[in-house]
Amino acid sequence: MAVRRTARIAATIGIVGAVGLGLVAVAGGAYAQPQLPPVTPEDLVNSVLTHADPGPFNGTVELDNDLGLPALPQMPQAANGTSTARVWSGGNHLGRVALPTDTGERTLVSDGTTRWAWNSDDRTVVKRPAGAQADRAAPTDPAAAVAQAIAELRATSTVAVDGTATVAGRGAYELVLTPAPTERTLLREVRVAVDAEKRIPLRLTVLATGSSGPAVQVGFTALTFGPQDPALFTFTPPPGATVTDAPAKDPTTQHQDTTTVGDGWDTVKIMRRPAGTTTATAGPNTPDLSAIGTPVSGTWGSGRLITTAVGSAIVTDDGRIAAGAVPAPVLTDALSR
Amino acid sequence: MTFAVAADPGTAVAARVRGLCKVFGATVAVEDVDLDIPDGAVLGMLGPNGSGKTTLIRLLLGLTRPSAGTAELLNHPMPTGAAVVLPHVGALVEGPGFHPFLSGRENLRRVAATEPLLPTRAIPAAVDAALERVGLGNAADRRFRGYSLGMKQRLGLAGALLLPRRLVILDEPTNGLDPAGTRDVRRIIAELHAGGATVVVSSHLLTEVEATCTHVAVLQSGSLIAEGELRRLLDADATGLVVTTPDTDLAVATLRAAGLDAYRDDADEPGVVVPAGDAPGVIALLVRAGVAVHEARRGRPRLEELFARLTETAT
Amino acid sequence: MSALPDTGSLRDAPRTAPLRRLLGAEVRWVLRRPRTLVILGLLALIPVLIAVGVTVAGRRAGPGRGLIGAVAGNGLVLPIVAVTVSLALLLPLAVAMAAADAIAGETACGTLRGLLLAPVSRLRLVGMKAFGVLVVAAAAVLVLAVVGMLAGLLVVGETGWQLVTLSGTTLGIGQALARIALVVVWAVGQLAAVGAVALAVSAWTEHPLVVLAAVLGGLIVFGVLGAIPTLEWLQPYLLTSGWSAAVDALRDPMPLTGMWDATWRALCYLAVGLSATIARMLRRDA
Repeated sequence: MAVRRTARIAATIGIVGAVGLGLVAVAGGAYAQPQLPPVTPEDLVNSVLTHADPGPFNGTVELDNDLGLPALPQMPQAANGTSTARVWSGGNHLGRVALPTDTGERTLVSDGTTRWAWNSDDRTVVKRPAGAQADRAAPTDPAAAVAQAIAELRATSTVAVDGTATVAGRGAYELVLTPAPTERTLLREVRVAVDAEKRIPLRLTVLATGSSGPAVQVGFTALTFGPQDPALFTFTPPPGATVTDAPAKDPTTQHQDTTTVGDGWDTVKIMRRPAGTTTATAGPNTPDLSAIGTPVSGTWGSGRLITTAVGSAIVTDDGRIAAGAVPAPVLTDALSR
Repeated sequence: MTFAVAADPGTAVAARVRGLCKVFGATVAVEDVDLDIPDGAVLGMLGPNGSGKTTLIRLLLGLTRPSAGTAELLNHPMPTGAAVVLPHVGALVEGPGFHPFLSGRENLRRVAATEPLLPTRAIPAAVDAALERVGLGNAADRRFRGYSLGMKQRLGLAGALLLPRRLVILDEPTNGLDPAGTRDVRRIIAELHAGGATVVVSSHLLTEVEATCTHVAVLQSGSLIAEGELRRLLDADATGLVVTTPDTDLAVATLRAAGLDAYRDDADEPGVVVPAGDAPGVIALLVRAGVAVHEARRGRPRLEELFARLTETAT
Repeated sequence: MSALPDTGSLRDAPRTAPLRRLLGAEVRWVLRRPRTLVILGLLALIPVLIAVGVTVAGRRAGPGRGLIGAVAGNGLVLPIVAVTVSLALLLPLAVAMAAADAIAGETACGTLRGLLLAPVSRLRLVGMKAFGVLVVAAAAVLVLAVVGMLAGLLVVGETGWQLVTLSGTTLGIGQALARIALVVVWAVGQLAAVGAVALAVSAWTEHPLVVLAAVLGGLIVFGVLGAIPTLEWLQPYLLTSGWSAAVDALRDPMPLTGMWDATWRALCYLAVGLSATIARMLRRDA
């Protein structure tokens, strides 16, 4: 009967649609663990530390944040949630990063001679000359930063390879660093997914004690190696944009007086803000911390304590900042020295 | 009491219904109906409100599925044969359905666009002709919203008459029409009949049915309680010979003495009813006996009487 | 009266009106309907209002923040912003109204019966109605895009025939038009999914208002579900969660992932909606 056949076809289409919805929903989620040749933790760590430059690439980086920080207007990425960045790297200090939001975008372009920062919200362009980089201390290459962290934590950790994973469609080893029992840290473990071929970190997962899910996870969701369009690494301020030169930074603000107390997982960094710098003059890109945290005081003085799932920070009233992936007592101990 | 006057076997039928039932929840709308509508007939479907007339028509047209039984239209089972049959069927069911924001002509053009048998080029002419035929020529370009009940009914009729049909089914076509409109409907039915089409008309206006129909089907509480050719149905229900006379007692005695069944009937005027008897013989008998015969006629009750009696008895 | 076809010729006679004629009649009916015209008019107002608002605000202060702010002095952004803004409520409303009238409305008018008696086969009827809804969706988005483009160029056209993307790059008129066209096609696809679901509701009810309530209620429920952090796993199933992807057309280079995901999701909703509509219409009494 024609009606029955049509009804059957209609039902089939409906089921295909419903199943398709499920497939679309889980796509990019669960992959089978890839089969990769076994590797020892030592070899894996060494290969990460000595990996060759992966060359030009583009990709999407996703940050899953479950730190429990309140939202700061200047840093929407700090609040709980997911944020994305699209990155293009052309080698030779050529790079482009796009930080999209629902209603706008920040774009950072490094064309080899100038670094441009575009903000679509107020249509401003801030340019500063490249080279003579003052902020070498904070590596711009996230892969290098992760490698550096592994090197620092290695001595005080148990290092293991916990199977394989697929990250951004690429096979990867899961490198797990667990703090030694003597370390006084809030962290349970740090997992690094290392690309099996290029040996660069693809994903970093930080797990805190007392919670099952990751506190922070940052990693590629898409990654393609290969030559990039050179036009990506140029920037021409669009009509109607306000272009300003970045203020020449006061050396004192650049070379903050930083001391490090302890080593390994319970390292505490203590920074001293230059006298006279208040939150009002700290510049638009420095988050205003005075609004958050709880007041604390002790033999070291008084200040505000900010705690998250993976670390704590104390901003003292005399201008010092102590921070680390440690519980608050470790910070006050460090401040008391 | 069922008067079933079976159609002659072999006669072509426009519609055939067997054991048809339709149940809505706990309500039985149509119960075990058998019905043949001969080709070329004008069938009047009678019944009080809620007797299942409209449901039966909807089942015939395949607008709703039977709970049991079968319906055939123009020799094709419904609703599966709808695509083959319905192009040849014009229907006005449950009142006229049109869009209030379009004019009568635009509404009719939309209907015409969906008619399989109407070539695209013929649509404007067919629409105009149908509007003229139902007497809406002057109001064609007014919005349907502003139509009176009668005009809406006429437009519905026009929709059923856009092209020559083998079967036209009209559900309460005279609803809301003034006497002139009723006359128009009667004329249109007569024209359709003369053209050879089969017509099914449901109505509660029994005079309309009697004036225009060749066949009749009477429904009550979902059941068919009488069905057949109108003339034969009336004959079968004839009350025999009615003799008007002042000497009723003498007349009854005379007739009974002659071995005939007879009884008094003083309903209108004094008289005697002879259920079975030939008129010349009865009259001769009475005159010979000295009974004053004022009038002698065949007792043919009007349909309304029949209808009332049928429905009353069945209750 | 002319001669009637005999019984034998029934099978050979045409069984359906030409499809183009059916679709044409449906489109004429849809576009003649006053409420369709009213909502198209309302939609045409949206880009005009945005343009006027941005121009007035622009004279007092600098460019505002957010998406609307991106329109200031950058007229070719207006069609895309207008479509994005309207996609939240007004466009689905227009489509839901069309779908409500398409089946439930025709039933309420008593005209669905007429179509089935013509006869229009039940499958074709669904096709005809789906086409009508699609035409309304396309007309609504096109009105936004065209009026948006005109208003953008006339009122806020500081950058002239160029489009400044959110990423800070400048596109020529050709690329800008291509992106506007892409957003239009994409948005019509999303609305087709809304329309298919609305049509299914329309087929299952006799009251047009139920369709409107169901679609608007559904949008609100989806919005609430999408905003609950613990239900984040539900996001990929929600049709509305991909609707901000139209903004991606204003980024450079344009990320297509968001629009693709939303399109696949819309196709799935479309399949489910149409299938439910057909399943109901094959059995529905009229």
